[in-house]
Amino acid sequence: MTGCERVNRMFARQDQDRIPRQDTFWPETITRWQREGLQWDHHDALRLLEADFAGLCWSWPPVFPGQRELLREDAETETVRDAWGGIVRTWKGRSGTPEHVGFGCDSRAIWEKTYRPAMLAAPNQVDVQMAAVRYADARKLGQWTHLSGVEGFEALRKILGDETCLMAMVDDPEWIRDVVAVHTEVVLRSWQSVLDQGVKPDGLWIYGDMAFNHATMCSPAMYRELVWPFHKQMADWAHERGMKVIYHTDGRVSGVLDLYIQAGFDCLQPIEAKAGMDIRQFAPTHGDRLAMIGNIDVMKMATNDLGLIEEEIRTKFAAGMATRGYAYHSDHSVPPQVSWDTYKAIIGMVERYGYY
Amino acid sequence: MPLLTDLTAAVAAGKRTDTVRLTQELLAAGTGPQAIVEQGLVPGMAIVGDQFKRNEIFVPEMLVAARAMKEALKLLEPMLASAGIKPKYTAIIGTVQGDLHDIGKNLISMMWRGANFAVIDLGTNVPPEKYLAAAQEHKAHLVGLSALLTTTMPAMKETVRALKAAGLPNTRIMIGGAPITQAFATDIGADGYAADAGTAVDVAKQLVASLA
Repeated sequence: MTGCERVNRMFARQDQDRIPRQDTFWPETITRWQREGLQWDHHDALRLLEADFAGLCWSWPPVFPGQRELLREDAETETVRDAWGGIVRTWKGRSGTPEHVGFGCDSRAIWEKTYRPAMLAAPNQVDVQMAAVRYADARKLGQWTHLSGVEGFEALRKILGDETCLMAMVDDPEWIRDVVAVHTEVVLRSWQSVLDQGVKPDGLWIYGDMAFNHATMCSPAMYRELVWPFHKQMADWAHERGMKVIYHTDGRVSGVLDLYIQAGFDCLQPIEAKAGMDIRQFAPTHGDRLAMIGNIDVMKMATNDLGLIEEEIRTKFAAGMATRGYAYHSDHSVPPQVSWDTYKAIIGMVERYGYY
Repeated sequence: MPLLTDLTAAVAAGKRTDTVRLTQELLAAGTGPQAIVEQGLVPGMAIVGDQFKRNEIFVPEMLVAARAMKEALKLLEPMLASAGIKPKYTAIIGTVQGDLHDIGKNLISMMWRGANFAVIDLGTNVPPEKYLAAAQEHKAHLVGLSALLTTTMPAMKETVRALKAAGLPNTRIMIGGAPITQAFATDIGADGYAADAGTAVDVAKQLVASLA
């Protein structure tokens, strides 16, 4: 069975030989593993895992393509004005979430005068030729191919900043809807440009962290009113083209699972355990309508306690596999506390417990 | 004359225009600034914290409530300062070294201010020695450490170790962030842990009460 067949059967809740597999690693994890025996890079770890998914492109449309103005730097960090007009401080040569120092768009007037027209007029930033090459390579390998990109909630936070966008959800919801609508239109246009090359991906993998460890950032009602219509627009666009939809969000999203299903999302990933998400709870209640990828707790991986990790994998695989709609992934990104020996043992456990 | 309970309701609902107007009216009617803060504004933010813990409101509503209180405090702070009235407790907060994430820390500091703590925000990527220096300089009752990433949890442990080693008998250490658990807090010797911004106020109050 190829990876593509396996994932398609996962979406159809049909029997598979084994669960599909994918994973993500922090760059520091790969650096550690290279010291401990990993030959090349994360692709080698994914090959050893026998990962089934292949991304073709990434779409996060900038407002001002190419803009990157260095404002200041020190030994560890640099502060730049980025292609979304924001001022961000990032690490030099290290991964991690950037600090958002400021945002260029902090009012509806600036949005309407500068940002909105700039976004709509910006040239497509997706490398369609590269997407076509990756598609051909992935097809040869039998992998399940997907277009990737960012949805409206994440775009809001990037363009307006958390405080402005979250307060505007209360003060000026029409502005918020407009930002999400414009972003959605531009992302769909960029994905369509890949399809226009004759590429026929199997799905979309949409990214948008809309929750933290306590709950969603905004209420389910506010999500339904301001962002959900555009999630549905993306899902409808994909389904009309024969594609499935995987939605990535960190955090505790238990309060909006039904809205995700109503939007047309076919699958949720990575189902963050440390935010209280547990497929042993959600697979029985939602697994028939929402496939699930992930939920293997990286905090347990980080202990390097193989007994603890095995219990995590055994019990969660059992819950996920009962629905036929489950694939392996860590619940976020494998951290550098995990040794290469431990990760190889994890692959062994995925092999041991992941066959039907 | 408006009632302090009207002001509390306005803050809890995030109505900044009403909050400012009611504050002005209370002042004009002779209510003291300290009473307005302690009996009008702070109870409003306490309602917000409780509703947030129960998922009755979410971050947007919390932000607009904090903004309403901040607008009122702009009127009151000069009067409080000239009368020599300061918050009873001082808190230091920052995101630990190696971590540039800030929204969690910002929400906690907003809620602590709402509970009438004086809050000194050290920003992000804060090394242990900077926490220590600030705690000593401001005679902090509370030091709050935030971390988003599993990769920066070791820095949190190192900061707690440095603060404990300095021996600050009147300072309590509280931690939080996406990967943090009570078990981790206990393991590294932190005095308190909060899972969310609403709980962070309760834990902070318990910790400073233990200083008495």
